[in-house]
Amino acid sequence: MRTVIARLMFGTAAAAALSWSVAAQQPAPAQVTPQDLRDGLKNPTRWLTYSGNYANHRHSPLTQITPANVNRLVAQWQFQTDTLGKFEATPLVVDGVIYVTGPLDTAWAIDARSGRQIWRYKRDLPSGLIACCGLVNRGFGVMGDHLFKTTLDAHVVAISRKSGAIEWDTPMANFKQGYSGTTAPLVVKDKVIVGVAGAEYGVRGFIDAYDAQTGKQVWRFNTTAGPEDPGHATWRGTDAKAWEHGGGSIWVPGAYDPELNLVYWGTGNAGPDYNGIEREGDNLYTASIVALDADTGKLRWHYQFTPHDIWDYDSTQMPVLADLTLDGAPQKVVLFANRNGFFYVLDRATGKLLRAKPFINTTWAKEVRGDGRPMLQPNSVPSEEGTKVCPDQTGGTNWMPPSFDPSLNLFFVTARESCGIFFTWKDDYTPGDAFRGGAVQRMGETQVSALRAIDVATGARKWEFSYANQSWAGVLSTASGLVFAGSSGNLMAFDAKTGKNLWHFQTGNALYAGAITYMIDDRQYVLMPSGTALTAFALADF
Amino acid sequence: MTQSAVVSAAVLAMSIGFAAGAAPAAQQREAGRDARPAKNPLEGNAQAISNGAAMFRNRCAGCHGPDAHGYLGPDLTGFWAAGGNDGRMFDIVRYGVSGTEMIAADPTRVLDKDIWQVLAYLRTLAAVPSAPPTGDAASGERVFRANCSTCHMVNGRGGQLGPDLSRIGSARPRTGLAAKIRGTSAFIRPGYEPVTLVTRQGERIRGVRKNEDEFSIQIMDMRERLQGYLKTNLSDVTIDKQSVMPAYGPDRLPDRDLDDLLRYLTTLRGVAETAGR
Repeated sequence: MRTVIARLMFGTAAAAALSWSVAAQQPAPAQVTPQDLRDGLKNPTRWLTYSGNYANHRHSPLTQITPANVNRLVAQWQFQTDTLGKFEATPLVVDGVIYVTGPLDTAWAIDARSGRQIWRYKRDLPSGLIACCGLVNRGFGVMGDHLFKTTLDAHVVAISRKSGAIEWDTPMANFKQGYSGTTAPLVVKDKVIVGVAGAEYGVRGFIDAYDAQTGKQVWRFNTTAGPEDPGHATWRGTDAKAWEHGGGSIWVPGAYDPELNLVYWGTGNAGPDYNGIEREGDNLYTASIVALDADTGKLRWHYQFTPHDIWDYDSTQMPVLADLTLDGAPQKVVLFANRNGFFYVLDRATGKLLRAKPFINTTWAKEVRGDGRPMLQPNSVPSEEGTKVCPDQTGGTNWMPPSFDPSLNLFFVTARESCGIFFTWKDDYTPGDAFRGGAVQRMGETQVSALRAIDVATGARKWEFSYANQSWAGVLSTASGLVFAGSSGNLMAFDAKTGKNLWHFQTGNALYAGAITYMIDDRQYVLMPSGTALTAFALADF
Repeated sequence: MTQSAVVSAAVLAMSIGFAAGAAPAAQQREAGRDARPAKNPLEGNAQAISNGAAMFRNRCAGCHGPDAHGYLGPDLTGFWAAGGNDGRMFDIVRYGVSGTEMIAADPTRVLDKDIWQVLAYLRTLAAVPSAPPTGDAASGERVFRANCSTCHMVNGRGGQLGPDLSRIGSARPRTGLAAKIRGTSAFIRPGYEPVTLVTRQGERIRGVRKNEDEFSIQIMDMRERLQGYLKTNLSDVTIDKQSVMPAYGPDRLPDRDLDDLLRYLTTLRGVAETAGR
């Protein structure tokens, strides 16, 4: 017995010594720093923000998987959640671990090599949640050892990256009045910047910044201009309080330019969606892009894509920041493929419109005038009898993120053709009730979609790949000349220069998010959410 | 923020604006019935009638016709005259009709108030007195067995190339059925679109499309064989304009037989559950 004890003691001491020596050899767990976030995908073992970098390029420098070998891409593992619903989130990857949020306020930490779960998070949600379009979430933000997310009951929370435990929990608004949180946060320096969804329920949208350490609110920008704000005169009509329930929700993250210290956000539709009689005027700052000082939230400039929106054309798509040469001169721009069917190029320092061109068939407006306002077409106003307008309310694109290849100057976007019959009626505002003022009868025979490559200098279509169904999938591109996108449950790879389809894999469920890619142990993985599963791919014979 | 996810089988339902929500449990349904008033609280309200008219055009007219006199779906204007009441119609809209394209209205998108407004509008429409039923159902069933049951199932008997008709009397008005049989209706139910495939070897395969993506198509061929094809093995895929159901003109189906057949079909309201379903 004594011998056994002695052996145990020796064993324990040896194990302790060994673990100390291993600990001494291994680097301390890496923190995610503000500089790491600014560096974007320079370290390709990581994917730290919704679209990979602050400019929202979704364009990885990785080149192990190429057009020549992508046909050897095979599934390595699949992570199945135990949750109903669907992934609309972009997973983050930090030092070999995937962090992803799921529907119904769930989240997981997953071993990026094997697909095995490390921890699971589930929020106790109150009853009576109000969310128009699915109990979804679009992902985490990260800083230090902390993850951040919005919640369906309109809170923003910090979660320990090590345990999945809540660290702080701050309410943004009253969920019973139709406010909800679905956007991934944009983490800038010491702030977590988020917004609220709910324009279908008469919310007043806002963009908020919270202190990353404490969860205390630092600033708020209201997306409908109140009496104290410039732009309030754009809320006229029979309802003097229309701005109080005028929509402008935020449900995808924005972009950040560290040099200008500006954050850029697209804002949601005006409310009620289809009946504008009670809110005559442009209804600032709905269906717009706003550039805000990252430290104070003060408005630096705005551009409204759809003045007086009556078609549910949320501008909640990705602002993509790029440095281009236009007409022979260097330009710092923001690129924006809008739900209203136009592709825009704006000066990102001033908001001046430089280009605007439809990337799908549009009938509400055919062109954008020199002064930046759309040239509205006759007979495009929703009516009691019904008015045919293209695109329908689901738009020329939607929340699915695009990608941008700076070496080719190509913008890859899931483009959706559609028309709908827009009806209007009178809705009285009641907090928490649907507040749309109409509805749309979608015209099935008009619905097709494609992956389109847009030349950002001209707005011209370089190539397209037509899908069999209307796609909701996001896009990823890589420096090796590949584009990953998909439809009908198929993750597909394309030649970035030609649009030729090179590979596909049927994931078994619909795609409502975009792929990401990362490098571990010198092996490049492509990770795709579909349904409520994640599938990781790598080259078969690597 | 409107994100209508569309799957092919639900295209019709989505197009008429009723998004399927979580399936209401029977318990919730009963509780809902207790909670709603028996009589329309908005009947005669001018604003409600105006709103209801627009809502009807948006959400209902695609199936029930612009004047509610029936198209793919039944005539609604005679509902009250035939003994129906507000509560029953409310429940049909809220919970749908099992076995038909009339699916439940998602309560997060269609408020109770919306349904009452549509009903207020419907009550303003003059009911066209329905003609007394004609035809002989027993004879019609014989016509059905001789001409239709190879492809259509009723209460567990018949073929499956075409839709199951066990509840067709609840789902279609007599006029709509007649148009389909005579070949004058262009409507083809999702999942039954006619398709012709040509293999690389030149073989032509006809059937109805069950599903399709960029790289494959799944069909039921004319021999009722379910089969999937990879598009790399096909030289052509054509969605045909003409239904695989032949048009039954007066030469193939005399008016009297049609009359009997329609009488039979309008009696099919799914009283007997389909075996094995």
